[in-house]
Amino acid sequence: MLSAAASGIPRLRWAAPPRHTLARTQWLLLSSSPTRTPAPAAAGPGGLEPPDLPRLAKSARISLSPEEAEEFSPKIQQVVDWFGQLQAVDLECIEPSLRAGTAAGSSLREDRPEPFANRDAIIEALPSYDDPYIKVPRVLNKE
Amino acid sequence: MALTLLRGIRTPTLFRTNVGLFCTARHPPLAHFTTRAGGMQTTEPKAAPKSIQQATKEAAEHKTRGFEAVIGIETHVQLSTITKAFCSCPYNYGSQPNSTVCPTCMGHPGTLPVLNAKVVDCAVKLGLALNCEISMTSKFDRKQYFYPDLPKGYQISQFDIPIAEKGYLDLDLPVEFGGGHRRFGITRVHMEEDAGKLLHSESGSYSQVDLNRAGVPLLEIVSEPDMRTGIEAAEYGAEIQRLVRYLGVGNGNMQEGSLRCDVNVSVRPIGQPEFGTKVEVKNMNSFSEISRAIDYEISRQILLHKESQADQIVQETRLWDESSQKTFTMRKKEGLADYRYFPEPDLPEVVLTSEYIDEIRNSMPELPEAKRRRYENMGLSMQDVIFLANDDNVAHFFDATLERGADAKLAANWIMGDITAYLKNEKLSIDEIKLTPLELSELIASIKNGTINGKIGKEILVELIAKGGTVKSVIEEKDLVQIADPAAIEAIVDQVLADNPKQLEQYRAGKTKLQGFFAGQVMKASKGKASPVLLNKILAEKLKGNQ
Repeated sequence: MLSAAASGIPRLRWAAPPRHTLARTQWLLLSSSPTRTPAPAAAGPGGLEPPDLPRLAKSARISLSPEEAEEFSPKIQQVVDWFGQLQAVDLECIEPSLRAGTAAGSSLREDRPEPFANRDAIIEALPSYDDPYIKVPRVLNKE
Repeated sequence: MALTLLRGIRTPTLFRTNVGLFCTARHPPLAHFTTRAGGMQTTEPKAAPKSIQQATKEAAEHKTRGFEAVIGIETHVQLSTITKAFCSCPYNYGSQPNSTVCPTCMGHPGTLPVLNAKVVDCAVKLGLALNCEISMTSKFDRKQYFYPDLPKGYQISQFDIPIAEKGYLDLDLPVEFGGGHRRFGITRVHMEEDAGKLLHSESGSYSQVDLNRAGVPLLEIVSEPDMRTGIEAAEYGAEIQRLVRYLGVGNGNMQEGSLRCDVNVSVRPIGQPEFGTKVEVKNMNSFSEISRAIDYEISRQILLHKESQADQIVQETRLWDESSQKTFTMRKKEGLADYRYFPEPDLPEVVLTSEYIDEIRNSMPELPEAKRRRYENMGLSMQDVIFLANDDNVAHFFDATLERGADAKLAANWIMGDITAYLKNEKLSIDEIKLTPLELSELIASIKNGTINGKIGKEILVELIAKGGTVKSVIEEKDLVQIADPAAIEAIVDQVLADNPKQLEQYRAGKTKLQGFFAGQVMKASKGKASPVLLNKILAEKLKGNQ
C-alpha cells in the first residue's frame, strides 16, 4: 500500500508545469517504479498504471493467495485512482516544499537521556526472548 | 604511531625497499603496487605479511601493468551523542543487551521519532570539515528493507537531499609509502540511524538480536571514486578518523564498529573511460586491513582480466578474511535493491540558518590538514608533520610547548622520541602523563642554555613524566647542573687518564678507538654532568699527549 502511494506521489507533481526544477527532479528520484514515464498529459484518474499486486505483496513480505490477490487488486486500484484524482489539483500558485505540514521552528530534541522506565513490559511483549537477546529465526551471513 | 600499516612501518628494511615502488604510485592513473594475491598461491597464508609483501612485490608490479583500480568508500561514523537519534534512550557501547531500548527505537506502533539536535550539530561540523556545501533545508526518508536487526522494517535515512554534499578531503600520504599530497572528492554526507546487532547462536539454529544500537545516530560519508590504491584508501579512512576525533563527533573506534568502511573496488584497462564492474568489500577492522583487502581484491580482479575471465567479476559483496588474507563472496547482488524510499512522514524537514552554520564554523578546532600545513611552514619534515598532526592530543601538547617559547624542531624531537617511547612502553596517552608542555619547554631551554646536558635532560624527562614537578626543582634536588667549568673537567680527565694507564698506553700505540672509552669514564666520573662538548675537546687534547 505504502509503495503504491509512494510511487503515486511523484506523479502528482507532474501535473503542474515544473517551476522549481531542482526540487521537482529530486522528488522524481524517489519513485522506484521502473516504468516511470514522465507523461503529464496522460495524468488523471485512471492514468496511473495498475498496481502489480504480487510485487507489492512480495515487497511487504505478505503472502497472498490468488483469490486474495484478486480481491485486493481493485481496492488498491482505488487508492491509486485517488492519487490520480489529486493530480487534477491546480498547484500553479503553490510554493513547492520538501515536506508536507512543516511547522517551522525548532522540532529538535536536546541530547538529554531519559531511560524508558517500563523495560519489563517491552521485553514481555517480545514474541521470542532468550535472555538477554531477542530470538529470531536463523539469519545466515555467509553463503 | 597511529598511521596505517603499522606492521610495515615497524620494519625499516621493508619500507626502504618499498619506497621506490610506492613512488611510482604517485601519478594516480597507475597503481604499481599490489600485494599478496600472487604470493598467496605459493606461500602459506599465515606467513608473516612482510615477507609476502616483499616476495610478491615484483610479481605484483608486473601484474598491475596495464590496469588501474578505481576505489570509492562509504564510511559510517557513529556519533558519540549521549542519546539515540530519534528517542531519548542513552547509548553506551557494551551495555547489557536490550537494556537501552524504548518503544520508539523498537518500532512499536504509535511512536514518533524526534530528532536529536546534537546529530545536526555533528553533521554540519563534519560537513564543513569535509569542505561540503551544507543544505539549508534537508529531509529524512525511509529506506525500507526487512532484516531482524531493523525493528521498524525501515531505516530513517536521507535519500535525495543529504545535509551536506560536494566536498573534498585533503591528506598527506606517509613518507614511507612515497609521500605526496592527495585530494579526494566527497559526494555526500547524510544522517541516518544504525540498526541493532545480530548475533548467531552457537548451534546455529537461531539468531539473536541486541537492539541497544538500533536508532544510534550515524553519519554516512560517501567518497567519489577517486582512490587508486589500498594505501590511498586506508589513508582516506585514517583522515576521516582524525577528523571525527578532532571534531569530537565520535570516537572513531574501528574495533567497536564506531567507524566502518565499506569499499567499492573495480579495475579497468588503463585508458578505458568506463569503470569496470565494482565489487564491495567489507569486514575490515583496521586501516591496515583496508589496505591489504583492497590490494588483494585489485590483484584478484586484474588476474581475472588477464586470464580473459573478466566476466567472472560480478557485482557482489565480498568479505575480507584476515586469517587467510583473502576476500570471499558474501552475497551476489540480485539486481538493484528496491528500498522504496519515500519521505519520512513523521519528521519535519531540517531547516538551518546561516547564523547557525556560522556559529558551528566558528566553534570548530583547527583541523588536521590546516595543522599539517602550519607545521610544514615551520620547517618541520613531512614525517614530523604527519606524526604530530595525527593525534589531536599530541598536536595540542606540541602547540602548547611552542607557546611556551620552545623551538619547534627540538620540541618535535622530544615528543616523537623519548616521550612517545615512554607512552608506548607504559601504554599511556600524552594527556595522561604528568609532564606539562611548560616543563618540556623549560627542559629544552635548560639544555639550550647549557644548564644541563642532553643526557641529563633525558633523565629529568623520565622523572617529570612519571612524577611531575618542575625542571628547576629536579635539577636542584639532584644537583644536576652541567659542569661547564673547563678546569673542573680537566681535573676529572686527568684523574681518569691516571687511573687507566694501560688503556692510555694502548691509545698512544694507535688504538684511537679508546677515546670513546675515556669519554665514557669521564662522563661517569662527573655523574653525567660534564658538558659533552668541553669534555671531548679537553679529552682529545690530553690524549694527544700534551702532558
